[in-house]
Amino acid sequence: MNVLVWLTAILFLLMVLVGGSKGARSFIALFLNFSVLFITIMIMLDPTADPIILTIISSAIISCITLFFINEVNSTTKAAFASTVITIVILIFFIVMITELAMIQGFGEEEIGELYIFSFYIGVDFVKIAASVIIISTIGAITDIAISIASPMREILHHNPSISRKELYESGLSIGRDILGTNTNTLFFAFFGGYLALLIWFKDLNYSFGEIINSKVFSTEIITILCAGIGIALVIPITSSITAYYLVKVREKEGDLSK
Amino acid sequence: MKVIVDYFKRITYKQIIMCSLLAVLFTVSMLFVHHNYAFYERPIAKVIETNLLDTTEIIDDNDNEDYLYTQQITAEIKNGDEKGELIQFTNEYSTSKAYDQEYHVGNELFVSIDRSIEENEILTGTINDVKRDKYVLMISWIFIFTLLIIGKKQGLFSIISLAVNASLLSYALDVYIQTANASLLFISGITVILFTAISLLLVNGFNEKTYAAIVATLLGTFISLSIAYLVMDLTSESGLQYEEMGFLTRPPQVVFMAGVLIGSLGAVMDVAITMSSSIFGLYEKNNNIPVKALKTSGMEIGKDIMGTMTNILFFVYIGGSIPTLILYLKNAYPLPFTLSMNLSLEVARALAGGIGIVITIPIGLYTALFFINRKRAKS
Repeated sequence: MNVLVWLTAILFLLMVLVGGSKGARSFIALFLNFSVLFITIMIMLDPTADPIILTIISSAIISCITLFFINEVNSTTKAAFASTVITIVILIFFIVMITELAMIQGFGEEEIGELYIFSFYIGVDFVKIAASVIIISTIGAITDIAISIASPMREILHHNPSISRKELYESGLSIGRDILGTNTNTLFFAFFGGYLALLIWFKDLNYSFGEIINSKVFSTEIITILCAGIGIALVIPITSSITAYYLVKVREKEGDLSK
Repeated sequence: MKVIVDYFKRITYKQIIMCSLLAVLFTVSMLFVHHNYAFYERPIAKVIETNLLDTTEIIDDNDNEDYLYTQQITAEIKNGDEKGELIQFTNEYSTSKAYDQEYHVGNELFVSIDRSIEENEILTGTINDVKRDKYVLMISWIFIFTLLIIGKKQGLFSIISLAVNASLLSYALDVYIQTANASLLFISGITVILFTAISLLLVNGFNEKTYAAIVATLLGTFISLSIAYLVMDLTSESGLQYEEMGFLTRPPQVVFMAGVLIGSLGAVMDVAITMSSSIFGLYEKNNNIPVKALKTSGMEIGKDIMGTMTNILFFVYIGGSIPTLILYLKNAYPLPFTLSMNLSLEVARALAGGIGIVITIPIGLYTALFFINRKRAKS
């Protein structure tokens, strides 16, 4: 049997064993997210479709699946969802700008070796594709942080019903700071693992420091890692403020109703 | 106004020193990277004029429409013997820009100069690459400032941890490349132990919580690696296409396994520290909490983080292959071939990482319980 089938089966089994029905839901969510990504790529093939808008829409759907399907629709997940989408929109314009400036789109000369038989005049805007790659790579982490900040904030409000919006915001920030280190580590190592083959190859090529830092392939990797880090940091204040605003508004509404 | 004055009053000397140090570093490095032409051996030219000469519509063999533009570029050479002289290039680019580039006034390019020209004639040459160092530096600074402003002390630790881990990885790869017959898996194994100790101690300090997390991380990573190894061995790696690593002159299986090991490490560490700090947190709140209650709460926490953590790995790995997938499909390669060619390794890596994440939940739980029981026995 195929390696992928085996690994998928083992992962499914473990998720159900450890996580029960929630584990099964998480597994299905992975599958659904994969399908959304697949459909997005299929639509991206059409040169008239704007990859940026497509990325924003599919990120929204992906974070919907992750937040509402694995967890449930409540004030926390709604706030986390809004924060994720806002962060993505801010981040994507920043990334498009960077990609255009640093000209890191498409393929580098080191990658072209085995691709030389391909036609590169395919009409799809690779600057926008490059930006959407960075966003798609980070969307999982951004959603994770948003929910990790929003849920304890609701607990804090629950235990201190009279907390002010500002205090709630501050506690959100402090939760965010506490998880910042481990979350950036998760992403950095994931990228390192993915880039390992390329890193070894660059070492084999004996490039000088100047050649490495300026080469398209390597600078793309650094810029992707750094943009992912910026995104992870950015989602902390955004989630804290939106969740604080939303939860306090909900509290006031409920207060009005009970009067 | 008073708010601002109060704000400045609260700033300590330490912060002032830190800020001035950052400002100096920022200014010096930005100035350097904009004037470092002399440090490069390759000739650098700065574009001072561009003219669009020609636009043609092209349709390739697979009916993809694109436009091909030809631009004439005049640039000034910034280093070497020809410093200050003008040079001309013709450059072709398409709207898709997958393997070409439109240049604008102000761009700095690495070029090669044609030597065989007569005197008093304008130099000509070819463009090799773009000078990207200033952009990499600029984004590094944006990253540093964002993390420091939002994350404060924790942001600083994240930056340090990235820098230390990246240097460690680079050093480990150097060792691997320079030593004949060195086993990459062995070197990665050692590096993983160092990575785990450094990152977790840096973020969480020296305490039992961290020790429990380190033990759980190492157990989780190596067990998941063994599972992946066993599966690959039993199926004789059927379904894995190593062609995308075709450029490597080294055995791709080993490189792939080392990638799995390092790639899942961050996520596994995250799970391990989340499990151990929440269980220790419950224990510290109530020293007499029964083991059974700790187990139940621990599993609940594990269930909550399982889904999003596996998601993170999936998107990191699959996201990166989007451009190649589009290139293949636009070149009329059949979908199953394209997917198996470009995604098999990424999906396998994500699945193996996911297995690591899920298996670390019970491992993290029982390691933390072990440490708590030892603590209880002592007191």
